[in-house]
Amino acid sequence: MGTEISRRGLLRIGGGLAATGALTSALAACSGGTGAGSTSSKLTMTWWGSDERHAAYKKALAAFQKKNPSIKVQATYQGYDGYFDKFNTNIAGGSAPDLLQMDTALVAQYARKGVLAPIDSYVGKSLDLTGFSKTLLAAGTVDGKLYGVPSGIGVNQLTVNRSGLEALGLKLPDQDWTWADLKSISEQVYKKSGGKTYGVDDGGGSALQCFEIFAREKGEQFFSDDGKKVGFTSDTLQEWWEYWAEMRKIHASGPAAITSAAHNDLTKNAVVIGKALFTFDSGVYGAGGKITDAQLDFLPTPQGDWSGAREGNFVNGGVLLSATKASKKVADSVKIMSFIAQDATAIKDFQLLRGIPPTEKARNLIASGLTETDKLNMANADYIATRVSKATNALAAPAAPPQGADQIWDLLFQSNLAVAFGKKTIKAQLSEFFDQAAGILSA
Amino acid sequence: MSMTTAKTDEVAKETPAPATPSDQRERERMRRRLARRRGGGWWPFLFLAPWFVGLFGLTIYPMLDSLYLSFTNFDLLTPAKWVGTHNYERMFSDDPVFWDSVHATLLYVLVSVPLKLALALGVAMLLNRDIKGIGLYRAAFYLPSLLGGAVAIAIVWRQVFGGDGLFNDFLAWFGIKGQDWISSPDTAIYTLILLAVWQFGTPMVIFLAGLKQLPKDVYEAAAIDGAPPVTRFFKITLPLLTPIVFFNVVLQMIDAFKTFTPAYVVSNGSGGPLNSTMLYSLYLYKKGFTDLQMGYASALAWVLFLVIAGFTAVNFIASRYWVHYDD
Repeated sequence: MGTEISRRGLLRIGGGLAATGALTSALAACSGGTGAGSTSSKLTMTWWGSDERHAAYKKALAAFQKKNPSIKVQATYQGYDGYFDKFNTNIAGGSAPDLLQMDTALVAQYARKGVLAPIDSYVGKSLDLTGFSKTLLAAGTVDGKLYGVPSGIGVNQLTVNRSGLEALGLKLPDQDWTWADLKSISEQVYKKSGGKTYGVDDGGGSALQCFEIFAREKGEQFFSDDGKKVGFTSDTLQEWWEYWAEMRKIHASGPAAITSAAHNDLTKNAVVIGKALFTFDSGVYGAGGKITDAQLDFLPTPQGDWSGAREGNFVNGGVLLSATKASKKVADSVKIMSFIAQDATAIKDFQLLRGIPPTEKARNLIASGLTETDKLNMANADYIATRVSKATNALAAPAAPPQGADQIWDLLFQSNLAVAFGKKTIKAQLSEFFDQAAGILSA
Repeated sequence: MSMTTAKTDEVAKETPAPATPSDQRERERMRRRLARRRGGGWWPFLFLAPWFVGLFGLTIYPMLDSLYLSFTNFDLLTPAKWVGTHNYERMFSDDPVFWDSVHATLLYVLVSVPLKLALALGVAMLLNRDIKGIGLYRAAFYLPSLLGGAVAIAIVWRQVFGGDGLFNDFLAWFGIKGQDWISSPDTAIYTLILLAVWQFGTPMVIFLAGLKQLPKDVYEAAAIDGAPPVTRFFKITLPLLTPIVFFNVVLQMIDAFKTFTPAYVVSNGSGGPLNSTMLYSLYLYKKGFTDLQMGYASALAWVLFLVIAGFTAVNFIASRYWVHYDD
């Protein structure tokens, strides 16, 4: 071979490198392997949550297995990110868990695709649901059948950094506050902090706890009854985006970069990083409250301040426990669901980690072990639940979100972000939003 | 076609000695022996069998299955239903995010590959000397490309270029106020490009190997002629290295099109602010596993395959015009 590069020599170098590359990547893939799905002897269970929730589940399962030595549980758990990606892949690969924590927003999708097992036949027998109200059970009911046991009550509220507010000499707004009140106090936060802290994180792209309530205050549900279209009008969305554009302009809410960073990343949430004092993200408290040192407090989503504004808030079902249809251990899974719902020790271990407990009995049990923040949360939730039940013109609680709901929420977020970054005008973004939303829901 | 100067012709090349009669007979004998062995039974196929099983079972069959799925509306949970070319039509006419991701990917490939290779060649030239500790320097420059594809590095990158990350601290020394590079749609993709360029170690090592094989006599002749270093680089080094450059271009380009992990981790799975980091593989993953549109994702995968094949073919055709081989 000559001293210059020949084609053969080149291919030889290339082949050697390719082989090394393939070998190292194969080794890497091997080392990253996970265990197989459910073996025939253990019941596999999975959930998402904070570290505190994991600990509570493990304790409850240990207690359950002591009382039922014939049932062995193998549990996996993680954060919310990627939880459902993993679940989708597991179902496709045939290794779906027997029992899993299910999102009320997604239960309808999975139930209608035949992934979840209906558990109506167990109610009253091995599944004890005493104390569960009908409206609460609706959160786990799809097309008339029960597919999941709700863990408790959730309400739509904002989480507030109260110690931050007090440090600026401001008082916590009244629980019946309006959107105008939100604007004024947020502006005050910005002024009093010398421009260092914004009032609230940008809610323009948040559907849950936020725009959904606003639309309901106008008498419009987020999704239409048949789930094929969005239920709100272009005017409503326009008013909403204009409100938040104004909020950003007066620095009552943070700029687009902060909102973008906080998307799907709780550690970058505006309240957590100290850039805002009010947030719509319920995960800040849900993460065991340890994610920030401040004293947290809670307020309902603001009310509408126009004449004829309705009560927009509603009570949802927390998280669900569901069994998969492909599982051979549905009967055992149901026993676990019943245990977690009714066993006194399990209830005390969970406290408020899965929402406010669904039954009166449960709430009494945990009353003693609550922290200051937990008590504030429960008090606020009780207030909202009472106000909702007394409201005369509130819309019915929303139905289970249709297929494609999560894409619509993401679309709302991205659309608002495009407006916030100045890439699109509100008018242009409105028509694009409705076009794409129609495409997603009708597919 | 080989680029040799007049001086090189003078270098004596070894020519094989003419064949003697006994050599020829020896060769005949060898040929006959091999001819008998060539029918050597099933042993060759037996040894090849494991590899064939892998090829068909793990590569060819899944590819064909994916091709079939691309014409269905498979959603991972329920059986697939045939929809013809609906996925492909939708991709090109009804999906703005698809074009965002094509744009992001093309930008990523067309900027990161040339930058990476230029840096690799530059550093390889610097490292092509025999000073003390040169092995250490070479290892140091190669290290990032070993770690690079890992999730951990991407997480570090996300922190470093975040709003209160190290990079902004560094800029603050010079009095420059940095922004959140990861969360701004104008800059996020460039952090990914930077991450790609940072991993220039692999092409650098290949360039180094190529540089070491260059004939010293050409350079001696050029030095005698009084050619300055820049001329030496552009008229001698670069033309002689074109096969290596071609190899690196093809490999790095294919690799860049398939990038997934950095995009996923740096954008936290979202495809970055306003789809600016929604590289094609990430979009494919999102469609297939998150949005449960596996049929559509399969169609996306085949389009990517054809695009990469197209770019590679163009590369090979173009190579006839700028690559100078020895043989």
